[in-house]
Amino acid sequence: MASVFSAPGFDFSNQLRNNFIAEKGLPLPKATSTGTTIVGCLFEDGIVLGADTRATEGPIVADKNCEKIHYITESIRCCGAGTAADTEFTTALISSNMELHGLTSGRKPRVVTAMTMLKQMLFRYQGQIGAALVLGGVDATGPHLFTIHPHGSTDKLPYVTMGSGSLAAMAVFESGWQANMTRDAALQLVKDAIAAGIFNDLGSGSNIDACIITASHTEMLRNVEMPNVRVQKERQYGFRRGTTAWKSEDVRNLIVSEEITLLAGGDEMDTT
Amino acid sequence: MQHAFAPSASHPQPQQRQFNPYSENGGTILAIAGANFSVIAGDTRQSEGYSIQTRYAPKVFRLTDKAVLATNGFAADGNMFVKKVRQRLEWYRHAHAKDMSLRAIARLIQTMLYARRFFPYYVYNILGGIEEDGSGAVYSFDPVGSYEREACRAAGAAQSLVQPFLDNQIYFKNQTPAPGTSHPAHLPLNHVLSLVIDSFTSATERHIEVGDGLEMYVVLAKGTPLQGLDAIQGITEMTATDDGERMFIIRRNLKRD
Amino acid sequence: MDHIDFQQLKSGEVNLGTSIMAVQFADGVVIGADSRTTTGSYIANRVTDKLTHVHDRVYCCRSGSAADTQAVADIVHYYLQLYSQSSGAPPPVHTAASLFQKLCYENKDALSAGIIVAGWDKEIGPSVYNIPLGGGLFRQPWAIGGSGSTYVYGYCDATYQEGWGRDETINFVKNTLALAMSRDGSSGGVIRMCVITEGGVERLFVPGNELPKFWQGTEVLSPVKGKAVPEPQVVPMTVE
Repeated sequence: MASVFSAPGFDFSNQLRNNFIAEKGLPLPKATSTGTTIVGCLFEDGIVLGADTRATEGPIVADKNCEKIHYITESIRCCGAGTAADTEFTTALISSNMELHGLTSGRKPRVVTAMTMLKQMLFRYQGQIGAALVLGGVDATGPHLFTIHPHGSTDKLPYVTMGSGSLAAMAVFESGWQANMTRDAALQLVKDAIAAGIFNDLGSGSNIDACIITASHTEMLRNVEMPNVRVQKERQYGFRRGTTAWKSEDVRNLIVSEEITLLAGGDEMDTT
Repeated sequence: MQHAFAPSASHPQPQQRQFNPYSENGGTILAIAGANFSVIAGDTRQSEGYSIQTRYAPKVFRLTDKAVLATNGFAADGNMFVKKVRQRLEWYRHAHAKDMSLRAIARLIQTMLYARRFFPYYVYNILGGIEEDGSGAVYSFDPVGSYEREACRAAGAAQSLVQPFLDNQIYFKNQTPAPGTSHPAHLPLNHVLSLVIDSFTSATERHIEVGDGLEMYVVLAKGTPLQGLDAIQGITEMTATDDGERMFIIRRNLKRD
Repeated sequence: MDHIDFQQLKSGEVNLGTSIMAVQFADGVVIGADSRTTTGSYIANRVTDKLTHVHDRVYCCRSGSAADTQAVADIVHYYLQLYSQSSGAPPPVHTAASLFQKLCYENKDALSAGIIVAGWDKEIGPSVYNIPLGGGLFRQPWAIGGSGSTYVYGYCDATYQEGWGRDETINFVKNTLALAMSRDGSSGGVIRMCVITEGGVERLFVPGNELPKFWQGTEVLSPVKGKAVPEPQVVPMTVE
């Protein structure tokens, strides 16, 4: 009987195993986290999103130029902070569901729809999915900007920041944000906020990405600013052929040659 | 990270708290010994967690005209340790009317570190300079005083990034020499300086706790030619006495992100 | 940022919190809340709206985990829509409160949510229900909640009287919340209030620089005579 019965709900038996292994001195592999600065800002006719491009594994820079502004729909985008895999997969999943939702309803899906899908999924996983998101976009009801925390709570605000650089970025917004800013002023403020994160937070670095969403058009500004280009190296580190020692040599011919003889008979394709 | 506005009640649970006297302030140091010179370098960023405490906090210190000490780890311990070493060197000067030799300073540092065996200075030290025989030397220490003379050593946050590079470029590890040739035992000064600069620009690229500024101390043995040092822009001579060893400092900017 | 679970924190050591309140009067109820949401010591939202719509004449005040209370309120909102669509009439406040109570009680191990439900219905008129942490359900003429509430129980007991009108009730809520916010470090920002009556829901907003002031300590600290400290001119931010 036990073999045919399976309890409903999630299977947590692996957690027991993982705890056991961790106790034995082998901790779980560390996930790449985007110790990050991500921001969003409302302006007169839309939303500007911003992000830095550094991904870290502990104190090591895993990716110097990663993309943290993810596609949800053409007019809705989402910045992700926290565990890189979680932000990528949740946004990809919700993007997919938004596309299907648009197809079944025959309407352009709204920002609140994406927000609700994301918060319900994150709440279901009780913070185990480490995704901290800034969701922004323009729909039939106007521009909307949200933050979504890993446990599934949401906030709707005219300017938001998240990630380890959120305090540095929020300082810029709290001193510089005004209602009904122009597109250029909002983009500049977002760039300043991300720069504050890049230079003052060790978890953030490298370049600035931005995305401007208006009712008619979405403009993805990849690497809109590159304030951290590496200086030229002092030396060339090429190695002479033969630098690496070897113990034996084996050269193989990987080319396979085959001879085909046609037999008499009408097997050939009619190409007339 | 609980995102909350809390209710008044809470569930009491047992907790244990402990005071931690140490912290880790990031950054990296490195030293390379040449035939008749020594280069001792460190970045100037001091951090805690994800915050930068300052973009300029020296980790490399002149002790005498022929000795430089680089410290890395817990900055407060490092500064206090350098202060106490300097005090001991001054007492030595007053007692013997001369500067302590490099190998004697190395042994002094060992005893000072081991004196705190059960409440250690949370610091990795690298001592560089010129020996009495005029050769360049590097001594590296662990926090409780174990030490060794070496040709090169990296320590600190990016040790695991820099040391393999140095092993390859200084000791020529994993490099078979071209047939009929052999690797040099010592590299010229300009070559060593460029390796140091590349070590730090690379560590800055891939380690979040390294950056902001670079300070490189160069110690030349008595009577050594400048080997193009005078052509380097932004170099400052720090020598205190005449016709002995000469000491220079070269400063460079590193990326600030 | 480190993981900070506020339930692990001893009360009074690091206080993360809120101040919420609801009071009934003859024609309806007045509900109110501060606007602070915190993550550790960081204010994640200084203009939060903790007065959450669950039906036309039923609102709730949320305290505890933002994620938990939002999720619970969303579920109740959904059930009340089903209720009104299938029965053809708006739900009684007690029905809404019972739904909250059911969710909070049955999931008490997983939730940290202290909720006050208030509103107006045809059968009873105005009513206030308190649903504290374990998932109990208590009808009260007035209710306060959140970490800030501990500072003002005495004030409420001493001040509240039956038979107040709308304006007196609003003042009571405003004053109580201002006092709670001034003592509780994890409450603050602005005061948001709602007056829910048969006729509709009226939203009220008190900016942070216009909060009622009580004893300020000036008698003790006595500022330099003739040097009045000018009030800074604050332009209230527009928030929907």
